[in-house]
Amino acid sequence: MVVSLPLPITITITITIPIPHPPSPVFILGVNFNENKLVKKALESFYALGPQTSARVMAKYYIHARAKVGTLAPKTVTALTAELSTMTIENEARKIVLDNIKRLRDIGTYRGRRHAMGLPVRGQQTRNQISNARKLNKIERKG
Amino acid sequence: MQPTRCLLKRSVWKGPHIVPLPIVRPEVGKKIVPIRTQARSATILPNFVGLKFQIHNGKVYHDLTVTEDMVGHKLGEFSTTRKPFKWAKK
Repeated sequence: MVVSLPLPITITITITIPIPHPPSPVFILGVNFNENKLVKKALESFYALGPQTSARVMAKYYIHARAKVGTLAPKTVTALTAELSTMTIENEARKIVLDNIKRLRDIGTYRGRRHAMGLPVRGQQTRNQISNARKLNKIERKG
Repeated sequence: MQPTRCLLKRSVWKGPHIVPLPIVRPEVGKKIVPIRTQARSATILPNFVGLKFQIHNGKVYHDLTVTEDMVGHKLGEFSTTRKPFKWAKK
């Protein structure tokens, strides 16, 4: 008895492996962000832009809280840049802080003097744990 | 400034801390006599600008001429009470 075998059938399966395209940076206010970064984090990376302001800005442009930078439409990105350029952030905000410290120093207050000495300003103890004051309290404060 | 920051300070309804100081406007041509005071907690008001004060620090009186920037601060902020620390020499 002979069993007639079916003809060999070749099945070709095409599997498409998604090739990860290199992350294209998104420019917001001249700073480029990885497209996988959260919009919230990207906004809060600017000095003087905190959780409250970032939430407000995102609500204004209908961006949900967990949105990533890569998912933003180019129109939204330009709108964000325009919005941020009107706000007092980065160097303008730093300058305000510096001016306030400088004013205290110039009129000769106790607080201004403590800034100049790099010591705590608001009556904290100075025996231990004043590393933040040492780091930050300066006339030309950085950060 | 943020409203919360202001609220952490003195309540608005109280107004500034006003201490009755013997302020006498100096007459023209006469020598200006500084106002000697121990009221370190007195707020500097806009009408103090240009006056001379002598503010007690617990030991001595420090001289101060009030300028426009100082308005809103307390008198005591301008008279230091602490001596800078130095290692004792043997």
